[in-house]
Amino acid sequence: MQAALRLDENPCRPRHFRPPPPCTPIVPDERQAALLETCRARLVMTAAVFAVVFLVVALRLAGMALLSGGAAEASAGRVRSLTAPPPARADIVDRNGQLLATTLNSPSLYADARQILDAGEATRAILSVLPQLNAADIHAKLSSGKSFVWIKRRLTPRQQYDINRLGIPGLQFENEERRIYPYADLASHVVGFSGIDNNGLAGIERALDGTVKNSSGPLKLSLDARVQFILHQELTRVIDEFSAKGGAGIIMDVHTGEIIAMVSLPDFDPNHPTAADPKLPPSEAKERIFNKITLGVYEMGSVFKIFNTAMALDYGVTSMAKGYDASRPIRIGRFTITDYKGKNRWLSTPEIFMYSSNIASARMAVDAGAERQRNFLGRLGLLKPVPIELDEVGKPHYPNAKSWREINVMTIAYGHGISVTPLHLVTAVAATVNGGVLRRPTLRKVPSGTIPPGEQVMSPKTSENMRKLMRLVVSHGTAKFAAAPGYVVGGKTGTAEKNSGGRYQGKKLLSSFVGVFPMHDPKYAILTMVDEPKGTKQSHGYATAGWTAVPATGRVIQRIGPILGVPAVDEASPAVARALAIESIQGKRIEAY
Amino acid sequence: MTKLGAIFWIGLVLASGFTTFKVKYAVQEIDDELTRVRKQAIAEQQEIRVLAAEWSYLNQPERLAELNRVLLQLAPLTARQLQQRIEDIAWRAPPAAPGTLVAANQPASHPSAGATPFAMPPAAALPSAMPAGEMSPDAAGALAAAVTVLGAGTAVPAPQLRLAKAAPGSLDALIARIADTR
Repeated sequence: MQAALRLDENPCRPRHFRPPPPCTPIVPDERQAALLETCRARLVMTAAVFAVVFLVVALRLAGMALLSGGAAEASAGRVRSLTAPPPARADIVDRNGQLLATTLNSPSLYADARQILDAGEATRAILSVLPQLNAADIHAKLSSGKSFVWIKRRLTPRQQYDINRLGIPGLQFENEERRIYPYADLASHVVGFSGIDNNGLAGIERALDGTVKNSSGPLKLSLDARVQFILHQELTRVIDEFSAKGGAGIIMDVHTGEIIAMVSLPDFDPNHPTAADPKLPPSEAKERIFNKITLGVYEMGSVFKIFNTAMALDYGVTSMAKGYDASRPIRIGRFTITDYKGKNRWLSTPEIFMYSSNIASARMAVDAGAERQRNFLGRLGLLKPVPIELDEVGKPHYPNAKSWREINVMTIAYGHGISVTPLHLVTAVAATVNGGVLRRPTLRKVPSGTIPPGEQVMSPKTSENMRKLMRLVVSHGTAKFAAAPGYVVGGKTGTAEKNSGGRYQGKKLLSSFVGVFPMHDPKYAILTMVDEPKGTKQSHGYATAGWTAVPATGRVIQRIGPILGVPAVDEASPAVARALAIESIQGKRIEAY
Repeated sequence: MTKLGAIFWIGLVLASGFTTFKVKYAVQEIDDELTRVRKQAIAEQQEIRVLAAEWSYLNQPERLAELNRVLLQLAPLTARQLQQRIEDIAWRAPPAAPGTLVAANQPASHPSAGATPFAMPPAAALPSAMPAGEMSPDAAGALAAAVTVLGAGTAVPAPQLRLAKAAPGSLDALIARIADTR
């Protein structure tokens, strides 16, 4: 039966006959037709979902590329920054930008022993660069087969380069940061040092640890490395000359309170603070790290007469023309107060200061009284720790208010029975000569042109009188060796007997000199201190301040004057003479001491 | 018609695909270069830090003082040299005749050097360590004159650096010294 054949299989079908399109199959079965309809609906749904998703993607793309205003580009650049990650600790520089402390990457060499092809050859090559290593040790390490063995920690950049050039596979570097102090011991007590874990352990590194860790730029100190060096050198010289135990010096800008130099000897190399320095006499590391300027408290001796005289003048207890009898020693209780090379007569205020009379100073203080003496010293900041950017600050020792008796008043007048740090002293002296304004000392650079706020602690008139008196000490008194021609130096000497265990030891002296220059328009205050100097032939056996600290200060001032830009003047010029003339002794002959 | 359309679209797809890949590779290349340059910049910055530390190390005042003692012997400024302020100094004198200037600039070995205020020593008197070869002859002569004047006329001893602290000679050695003690 041919009729059973399907139409398209019919070999002789009509020419114009087209079979129905395949998409609309003639489905006779209704169940199949319904199934097909469902499939089609699902396809349309899926296509619609995809279309929506693609549309969203396309729109988002267009939005990011065209409409976001460059935010995409900006975020792309942030992924890797152009600069190296800042070191863990910022640099510390002096006021002129010289590096005092910096952090360098220092590579350490390790090896993957599995990759080493020929341990013997590799050992020879490594030793050619690092001859101090032990050959057997290195050979054992390289042939151990371990994946990680240290060869040498903390290489220098040169050594790293040389190792790299050897081209031995299996040798790797790991970078570690290390603190370097290029000036070594020059400013060791100020800068301090940090430990291997990058924590500050002393000095600025410790006190400003947070600042050093978080600051992006260098930390600028008020120090001047050149001035620091000169002070360091001259102090070293005077210590050698008088076989002293140690010494200390500080230079301060009297108007801003900036510390230009601070030296405490013996010192240490902050690059390896616990190792002994062959240049210095052997002393305990602890003693070398001790900062005499800020942490050590001393009975400063006659230098305190600056404050005693200023107090008496400021309270109107005495005047430049008045004076006191210094003909006989004072006996009080079991003590006797005498003068060193006394004049044994009535002395005027300038003479009391110039000849450094203990007797007259004590009488002056008694006239002022304990209450006013304590108030005045307190105002000068001498009775509490000095606020400064160091953790190593000493607490002054002095009698408490109840036991501040007459005998204390008398001894404090000439600097015994009260112990302060040299920093206290120089800060108070700066206030005494700069017109009477006490400013906080600082180790951070004060931007030029700004004067930090201060507190008026005495009248400008008292300050002016004190300038005249301090000049007199250098021009006619105990500190003639401090004269640095052209810089109009003034100051006050102090030779204190050291007190140990409640006893004064006549042979152990603490000679100090506090100077100010130029006296007619003070710019810098300088304090030098020599610990236990011993007299020499050149000094005729003397170890007093006049022979030790004073000449050293004169030399320092002569050398730093040009560096600090202090204009040198003709000391005999009328302008200078007028600024420093004392009316009450005008025309009288000033006896040479 | 349909065929033409299909060819057009396929062509477009191919072209856009090709362009996309090209752009992608170009961007990748630029990105690699950027990374390379950044790494290099970071390396240079590290190098600058090392050099700054070395510069500071070489500028230790103690070392400079010793170098001055050996090579220049310049004395510290004294107040006497500074007692005139800049306002006190007279204006420059009218320029001298050109001939005078030329004579003053003659090299030290030139016969006319005797006419200059300083008695110029022969170039051989220069300390041997001085990089005389890098200086112009007249600069070297002037320096030698300065050395002679400041050295109080004595012959300059053969320079021998005695640098107690700077003995390691370089920052490398300093770091090595630290590494050994830590």
